[in-house]
Amino acid sequence: MDDDETRRRFEHVALPHLDAAYNLARWLTRNDQDAQDVVQEACLRAMRYFASFRGDQARPWLLTIVRHTCYAWLRENRPAELVHFDDEAGPPEAAAPPGDEPHEHAVRRADRAQLNQAIAALPIDFREVLVLRELEDLPYRDIARIADIPLGTVMSRLSRARALLRVALQPEARPRTAVLRAVRRGEAP
Amino acid sequence: MTPEQLNAFVDGELDLAGQLQAERDPALHAPAAQLRELSRLVRSQADYHRAPDALRERLRRCAAAATAPPAAARRRRWSAWQAGGASAFATALLAVGLHLALAPDDGRRLQDEAVASHVRASLSQRSIDVASSDQHTVKPWLSARLDYSPPVQHPQAAGAVLVGGRVDALAGRPVAVLVYRLRQHEVDVFVWPAGDRPPPAVAAAQRGFNLAGSTGDGMAWLAVSDVNAGELSRLVRVLAGTDGAAR
Repeated sequence: MDDDETRRRFEHVALPHLDAAYNLARWLTRNDQDAQDVVQEACLRAMRYFASFRGDQARPWLLTIVRHTCYAWLRENRPAELVHFDDEAGPPEAAAPPGDEPHEHAVRRADRAQLNQAIAALPIDFREVLVLRELEDLPYRDIARIADIPLGTVMSRLSRARALLRVALQPEARPRTAVLRAVRRGEAP
Repeated sequence: MTPEQLNAFVDGELDLAGQLQAERDPALHAPAAQLRELSRLVRSQADYHRAPDALRERLRRCAAAATAPPAAARRRRWSAWQAGGASAFATALLAVGLHLALAPDDGRRLQDEAVASHVRASLSQRSIDVASSDQHTVKPWLSARLDYSPPVQHPQAAGAVLVGGRVDALAGRPVAVLVYRLRQHEVDVFVWPAGDRPPPAVAAAQRGFNLAGSTGDGMAWLAVSDVNAGELSRLVRVLAGTDGAAR
């Protein structure tokens, strides 16, 4: 493939989804400069992997590469952030009971900064499914492909991400960030 | 119902039978409403981080230069870029601005993307997201999904009939697409605020498709179809209001 063709294909396929790529990288790295480096690296990879692109679903395809690059980058530079949680554990202990009116008001009152902070404080496994679902509006099957997890795990992580977020937005719970006990991937809970 | 299923219901991810059953269950109304409220809050209030222009431009340059170079070379080029410092950065920003305003290949890129969008839509058989020949249905549907309100004034124009609309990306920006049918041909008409970016050349042909552009009503108009160039130009002039002829 010559340079011009590569450039044109890249611009057609990847650049329309650059905002989505950057948004995901920014939420995963939680830093502007790191997100720019990661997205640049991911796009260079994407150019090399054009052969694996089948011409459909450009956004999930690019986001898969961005997410993979993010994790590789974090593993190298900030391994402490890659703390994973046991997917088999029950729901977070503090899930709000249904119809809890005062709590609903608290959620509605939460302002932008608090909300952003609460999402940023979610463990990365939960943060990524929440961002892909709510900010990219992706269906579960695309999220499963991007995060490289089964559909059932998408469901459980999203459910727990929302429960954690709900708890974090309660005024009395705000100082607490870690609600779940951290479990390293592969370790018994 | 488990919390996972409740979330899947709110996200519309249960199978049809499951969705209908959940909708009919009064016990689920309150918890589902809570979840929707949380979801709405995140969607409306959480930051969506758009890619900085400098990154976008850098990638365009990289794309032009990089056909799978070895990693070391890539790193070198990137550090050289960074070493350029503030003045290079400012120059680059200026260049982006000029590029958007002046570059001759920008119009060409817009045409490429419009043709690609038209082809993709026809192939996927999802060329229409809102199917209606009523402009009072199509316009609000589009306005709700864009940061501008495209004029949809002509359910019929120059022999073409409005059949619906969709939103698609053109030059990295979501734009309105009005879908018309002219005899057996589908015509995609892209409409965006003229101030953002001028429409490309008035008439052009690409990969067997014809394109026709115009500016009118404060909007840039670009039609893509396999109908003949004359009819397409006439349609786009009528829609843009730059043709005094009968509609």
